[in-house]
Amino acid sequence: MDLAGLTRDLEALRDEVVSAVAGTQEVSALAALEVDVLGKKGRLGVVLRGIGGLPTDDRPRVGAVANAVRVAVEEVFQARGVELRAKELEARFRAETVDVTTPGRPIRRGSLHPIVETAGRIAEIFSQFGFVVHEGPEVEDDLTNFQMLNIPPDHPARDLWDTLYVDIDGKLLRTHTSPGQIRVMHASTPPIRALLPGRCFRYEAIDASHASEFFQVEGLMIDEGTTLGDLRGLLDQFAQAMFGQGKRTRFRPGYYPFTEPSVAFDVECVVCGGSGCPACSRSGWMTILGAGMVHPVVLQYGGLDPERYQGFAFGMGVERIANLRHSVGDLRLYMENDLRFLEQFR
Amino acid sequence: MRVPLSWLREYVDIQLTPEQLAERLTLLGMEVKGVERWGAEWRNVVVGELLTVEPHPRADRLHLTTVSIGSGEPLQIVCGAHNIAPGQRVPVALPGAVLPGDRRIERTEKMGIASAGMLCSGDELRITSDGEGILILPADMPLGAALVDLLGDVVLDVDVKPNRGDALSMLGLAREVAAVTGAPVRWPEIDVIESGRPVGERLTVTVRDPDLCARFVGRWVSGVRIAPSPDQVQMRLLAAGMRPVSNVVDASNYVMLEMGKPIHTFDAAAIHDGRIVVRRAVAGERIETLDHVERHLADDTLLIADPRGPLAIAGIMGGAGSEIGDATTEVIVESAVFDPISIRRTGQRYALRSEASLRFEKGQELRLARIGADRTAQLVAAWAGGAVAPGRVDTNPEEPREARVAFRPSRVNRLLGTALSTAEQRDLLRLVGVATEEAVPASTTIVIAAGTRPLSVPAGTTETLLAVVPTWRRDILIEADIAEEVARVRGYELVPAMLPRTPTPAWRPDPLELRDAVRATLAGAGLTEVVTLALVSPRHGEVFGWSSADIAARGETAAEGSPITVTNPLSSEHAILRQGLVGSLADVVSANLRHGLQDMAIFEIGKGYGRSGEQAIEWWRAGLALTGAGDPAAWNRPARPVDLDDAKGLAEMLCRSLGLEPSWTALADEGVLHPGRAARLAGRDALGALCLAGRVGELHPRLLEAWELRTDRLVVAELSVAGLSGGALPGVRSTPPPRFQASERDLAIVVAREIPAAVVEAAIRSAGGELLRTVTLFDIYQGAPLSAGERSLAYRLVYSAGDRTPTEQEVEAAVAAVTASIAAVVGGRIRS
Repeated sequence: MDLAGLTRDLEALRDEVVSAVAGTQEVSALAALEVDVLGKKGRLGVVLRGIGGLPTDDRPRVGAVANAVRVAVEEVFQARGVELRAKELEARFRAETVDVTTPGRPIRRGSLHPIVETAGRIAEIFSQFGFVVHEGPEVEDDLTNFQMLNIPPDHPARDLWDTLYVDIDGKLLRTHTSPGQIRVMHASTPPIRALLPGRCFRYEAIDASHASEFFQVEGLMIDEGTTLGDLRGLLDQFAQAMFGQGKRTRFRPGYYPFTEPSVAFDVECVVCGGSGCPACSRSGWMTILGAGMVHPVVLQYGGLDPERYQGFAFGMGVERIANLRHSVGDLRLYMENDLRFLEQFR
Repeated sequence: MRVPLSWLREYVDIQLTPEQLAERLTLLGMEVKGVERWGAEWRNVVVGELLTVEPHPRADRLHLTTVSIGSGEPLQIVCGAHNIAPGQRVPVALPGAVLPGDRRIERTEKMGIASAGMLCSGDELRITSDGEGILILPADMPLGAALVDLLGDVVLDVDVKPNRGDALSMLGLAREVAAVTGAPVRWPEIDVIESGRPVGERLTVTVRDPDLCARFVGRWVSGVRIAPSPDQVQMRLLAAGMRPVSNVVDASNYVMLEMGKPIHTFDAAAIHDGRIVVRRAVAGERIETLDHVERHLADDTLLIADPRGPLAIAGIMGGAGSEIGDATTEVIVESAVFDPISIRRTGQRYALRSEASLRFEKGQELRLARIGADRTAQLVAAWAGGAVAPGRVDTNPEEPREARVAFRPSRVNRLLGTALSTAEQRDLLRLVGVATEEAVPASTTIVIAAGTRPLSVPAGTTETLLAVVPTWRRDILIEADIAEEVARVRGYELVPAMLPRTPTPAWRPDPLELRDAVRATLAGAGLTEVVTLALVSPRHGEVFGWSSADIAARGETAAEGSPITVTNPLSSEHAILRQGLVGSLADVVSANLRHGLQDMAIFEIGKGYGRSGEQAIEWWRAGLALTGAGDPAAWNRPARPVDLDDAKGLAEMLCRSLGLEPSWTALADEGVLHPGRAARLAGRDALGALCLAGRVGELHPRLLEAWELRTDRLVVAELSVAGLSGGALPGVRSTPPPRFQASERDLAIVVAREIPAAVVEAAIRSAGGELLRTVTLFDIYQGAPLSAGERSLAYRLVYSAGDRTPTEQEVEAAVAAVTASIAAVVGGRIRS
């Protein structure tokens, strides 16, 4: 083989490959062709093996030609490869296109009950002030539910709690969380800051604003210098935390046999903002809890010396707070457990 | 209590608007629940004067009248009443008027004659109880004036707290108004003109049980004529919520509302020999009370009796036999003080609570017995005529003086968080009629607590004052009561709002921590939390009671005993405390199915309750219920119905979220769950402690039917979880991820079909060696070429070591050990 022949062969191969590459339609065919031409045993190699038969002087010149052919062929493969891959991707996109506006795969979402959540929120707020949660039994003793709270048998204040009694002597279903005060005093020593959430029971016909079972949160704080002013300050903080900053509050006398002085605590009506509406009986205020300084008799039953220790207690209905938080107008919704209602509390 | 302002104003001047007064009283502790416009219903009712009253030409019982209303032509009005005459002023409802009860008045025609409105009776206006005659108005009422402007009133609805029986009256509230405004209280002038035979010659009163009747004051009024009370009295009583009856009965009710003293009046003719005995009933005695109910008397019931038998249940209700009637001429007035507890018990026993018993229950001061008797006698004589017999019969004329309550102004400040001077405190107390004395005897003690646990301390060297408590304030007994008076008269609003500066208690774990974590886990898994009633119907206990002994997780209470029964249930549907959550959850599912929902996943964390002897036991459980679709349907996917595996998966996830390893065993048939689909779950911690225990299964088809659950399957679980009753979340002990390659081997193990997978897995694990990390069941096969009694369980075993990649030989040896053990323990073979 002479120089001219070899050069011609190389150029013929180049031209053939260029036209073959241009004719490929798939990436896989192009890859096979590339192996066939440029591979170890490829056709370009076969042609170049002829270089060995050339005179030494001619070899560099053929080498230069061969290199140019290789570069040219590689470029053609490269360019066609890019073209074909783009085309194939495009075809894949066309094939895989979906209607992205259809709804996604449904995943079941759970929800937490507003009463438990609200009780938890109350506990969370007071925990910032050092209050810790305690719990007591729901089947209570008459002694702790009433007598130790300064409500002896036949006390007229018993009318405030219509009671459900059970078939165990001296036991009843607790009418409030207040017996927890006695239990906490027995179980700990001052300083005491306790929060007592739980289920309570009353002999009460059920309607939009009365329930026979409901939830309360009781608070108790006792040490040597806790005052009515501390109670007011703390309740103000609570009202801001629960209902929003800047809410006005009203601190006024109330009555409970187990506190003296006793307090009723109102917040500005969350519906009308204080201007008066049916929700607040046109008063502009909503009573959210009862409170007071723990009665000395109660401190004594709790095993504390009322001359040394003093403090306050408060109790609130969780449903009442939840009503205001979530604009609920009917207590029955909480215990009816209609899932269409509950699933809103995500 | 309903308080007509016009009546209240008789005893105290009020310059405030009704709304201002309502707010001030509320801030003083006399909460005003409502401000009612009395007479606001009278629209277009004016004062008219009858010009002519003629018989109706076509109807005997009707009158044809002409009425002037001051301006315009006189009106022609047809009227059916017979008490009218020319010259009288009467209420005229003009066309367009609306009367109470939404009664609309139009121009009408009666028997062919036009009537331009209506003349009104007191009953039609609801200001007196007289429905027979037209209400005759005072002659000085201006013609044409709107009736509401003349007779309208404002009625406050005051919530008087149980400790303030003294304020359950116009005078009592007048004292509270005075505390707000500083205006003086005007007592009515009680001026009894006496004549005739002294009461002592006509009436004797013997109190046999002075423990129940501290004082009985009797008076006698002779020659009364029973008739309706004056219109103004009727108006006041009606506005205050009491029905007028007759002049004598109204006098007693008026006195009760005026000064808070319940009074009873007897027809003296019905009392044998004028001899009244106050005594406990004797077993077997009976009385017909005013409501015409024959009552069998218990022997602790206090009676007013005469020598022949019971006349009245003391303080509760009079007897029909001595009732004031139209023929009554002689009246005995009873003004007594009864034991509050006895009255309360008696009222409850006979289910009779009245305005009178309500006041007796709260305690009465002895002084009022005398004053009330005099006032009633005065009003009976004024309204019903007759002569008041001279003198009173009085079983206990001694009236105690005011009590002294010692207090330390410094302690008042310490309780309130205030810095009020002694002088300020004294001024505030003076406004509620509490005088203070500085001269304190050396032996004075401060009463810290009274009642069931009295406690006093010596006055010591701290500045101490004596509060002189008015006799009507029976609620002021201890130092703290004085503090409340100081705070309330000054205004709670002036108590400074502070934040506690006292020591904080030591840290204590939060008992809600684990419960909240379980809630979050279940809600996160798509379940909706419910809260159901603890009181259920006894059927719950019968249908959903688990028969076998409950297994509780470590530290939790086991369910035991029989149901606790409510002795006074609101209804039979809520008569027992539930023992478990499954029945309650089934109720929720049932209710929601009726609402048309089909797919449900709910949970509750709540208590079960039981009694063991005289002990009440409470236990916490987490319950869940699933029905309908496990995976909801979508446009590109059908729904997958929920099955046992969903509940098992949730329970296993709950175990793992608490660091527990779950294991399952089949549960014996207890009648609650599908006998072939009921499992017991045990979740154990790394040390093997049982930290989660419970049952998971499909509800028995019979129960689905019995509970009318319109669904194919309901999968339920009830779990006891260590810490649910108040524990902390267990911590996490971590290990670093493996750094060396693990080896996997798949083993298909052929065993008899009845051998549970859990047993096979346990056999693998026990023989697995220390390199075995996980065992995962990935397939179950039965059918050819296996024999009919066999199945093949395919497990993937993963081996790894912390410090190297296990060698081929090590793994082969470990697998061989498993293979050998399988053959020995469960009779299985390896399928190749």
